[in-house]
Amino acid sequence: MFNKLRIGKKGENIIFGTFVLLYIGWCVSSPDMSIESLKSVLTIGLSVGIIYGLVALGISLIYTGLDVVNFSHGEFFMIGAFAGLTMFNLLGNQDWIFNIFPDAYGWIIYVVCLFTAFVSMGLFGVFIERVFLRPLTKKGGGYTVAGMGIIICGFGLSVVLINVAYLIWNPVAKPFPAELGLPMEIGGLFLPITYIWMIVVGLSVAAGLWFFLNKTKMGLGIRAVAYSKDVSNLVGINVPLYISIIFGIACAIAGIGGTLVGPTYQVVVFMGYIILMKAFAAAVVGGFGNLPGAIVGGFTVGIFETASSFYISGSHKDLYAFLLMIVVLMIKPTGFFGVQVKMKA
Amino acid sequence: MLKIDQLISGYGSVQILNGANMKVEKQSIVALLGGNGTGKSTILRAASGLIRSWKGTIEFNGEQIQNLPAHEIVGRGLVQVTQGKDVFPAMSVTENLKLGGFILKSKQQLSDNLEKVYNYFPRLNERKDQLAATLSGGELQMLCIGRGLMSNPKMIMLDEPSAALAPQIVLDIFKNINRIRQDGLTVLVVEQNIRMALLLADYGYVIKDGVINVEGDSKKLMYDESVKESYLGGTKANV
Repeated sequence: MFNKLRIGKKGENIIFGTFVLLYIGWCVSSPDMSIESLKSVLTIGLSVGIIYGLVALGISLIYTGLDVVNFSHGEFFMIGAFAGLTMFNLLGNQDWIFNIFPDAYGWIIYVVCLFTAFVSMGLFGVFIERVFLRPLTKKGGGYTVAGMGIIICGFGLSVVLINVAYLIWNPVAKPFPAELGLPMEIGGLFLPITYIWMIVVGLSVAAGLWFFLNKTKMGLGIRAVAYSKDVSNLVGINVPLYISIIFGIACAIAGIGGTLVGPTYQVVVFMGYIILMKAFAAAVVGGFGNLPGAIVGGFTVGIFETASSFYISGSHKDLYAFLLMIVVLMIKPTGFFGVQVKMKA
Repeated sequence: MLKIDQLISGYGSVQILNGANMKVEKQSIVALLGGNGTGKSTILRAASGLIRSWKGTIEFNGEQIQNLPAHEIVGRGLVQVTQGKDVFPAMSVTENLKLGGFILKSKQQLSDNLEKVYNYFPRLNERKDQLAATLSGGELQMLCIGRGLMSNPKMIMLDEPSAALAPQIVLDIFKNINRIRQDGLTVLVVEQNIRMALLLADYGYVIKDGVINVEGDSKKLMYDESVKESYLGGTKANV
């Protein structure tokens, strides 16, 4: 409807700003509003948001590199959580680790779990890409042409992976009792220390990815492949290998996200689906295909969701992310950091 | 140096090349001429491995390279230089050039080659920190040629270096191509601009409907009526 009015970029911003002000007004007028509650809302919002951001980062990375949206990304998140949990159960009752590091026991194990999830999901992603997605591109001229087939394949993979995980780990929700320290009091609420872990680790992963893409030779190659596969071929980049690497990195980041969520919530076979949808919303809000945008979008969705369920109504928690996505698509279809396709990555 | 024998290739199920033969001698400049849609670029794309060769052979330095992966062909020293619009617009000029030297192992060599390219095109040195998106058409073409030179190639194949450029800039670029040849490289130029290309080249091929129609010394081709005919398609009466 706004397209017909031709409101332009400035108009877009004004209307969007009005929405934001109205929303803030609504929150402020809520009886629960206080500085204390705002602190805890921000902590929870940021920590949930960075998880959405990490998954959205993977979706955006795959979108820039392969020109398709990977609808099975939530399942990599879920399997990553299980990979971390499996490692945790392996290490959890090893006395020798405790004997060597009596003070730092909990978090050393947790870091090993994160690392396990990162590596195993990276390898698993490369495997999935090579075995299930690559053959689809044989008929056409690469990923762009085979796009629709790969999107459908993503939905199929999602169902298959959920059921494989169901067979291996059964549908009971499993606790992930990482010992990271006592809960912290933030804004009158006792929040598990894992919230801080999520924010810190998530941001470091995002920063690491930025460094990798912008400062290393392989990152330069990835950015080149994301822009044009033909030209990348002509400068001597092994494009099929780099496509696998891109997919692997995206999956590895999702795996870290899964392991980060584990200790705060629980690890369930069905946790991937809703995360995928919200991460998708986050990617759209930040600007689809823009990597910093994915993180900012994740934070926005996380804070919006938490604040809304705190100040407006807690019974519609899962609704708010999509509400925000719809509003952004209506008013500012390119998202916060809308990229021109020409300049992506 | 490059020998293409009975090459048949195309896109999807559409056959474009119907048995093209051509030969490029070492340290020469060869022009490949032809109108739109005759298969000039298809030859280049097949030679650099972007599309599959269906039949026939492509020999480079005595080695058959047809249907090798594109990055291995670059590794052997055969580099295709695309038209100026094919740079990475979101990267700086230096980054674009560094990408050209992606296959180089040593950092020293990379910076040596960077110096070499800035020496050919001082204009790029002035603009080295700008985003490639902000360059002019001529500078983009220089950037593309420079990027091709970064990987120490033995032979470069230029795809329409004069496309959509002012005559003065075309002259400048062609002078540089000549300099590149004098420094020991072999050059294949695909062109629509017959006069300029034949002035530059030693030998010329004219392609029509996917086969080489006319070939010969460039001085001779310049005044050859059959070139004009095959170029414009149709018979002499139409010209």
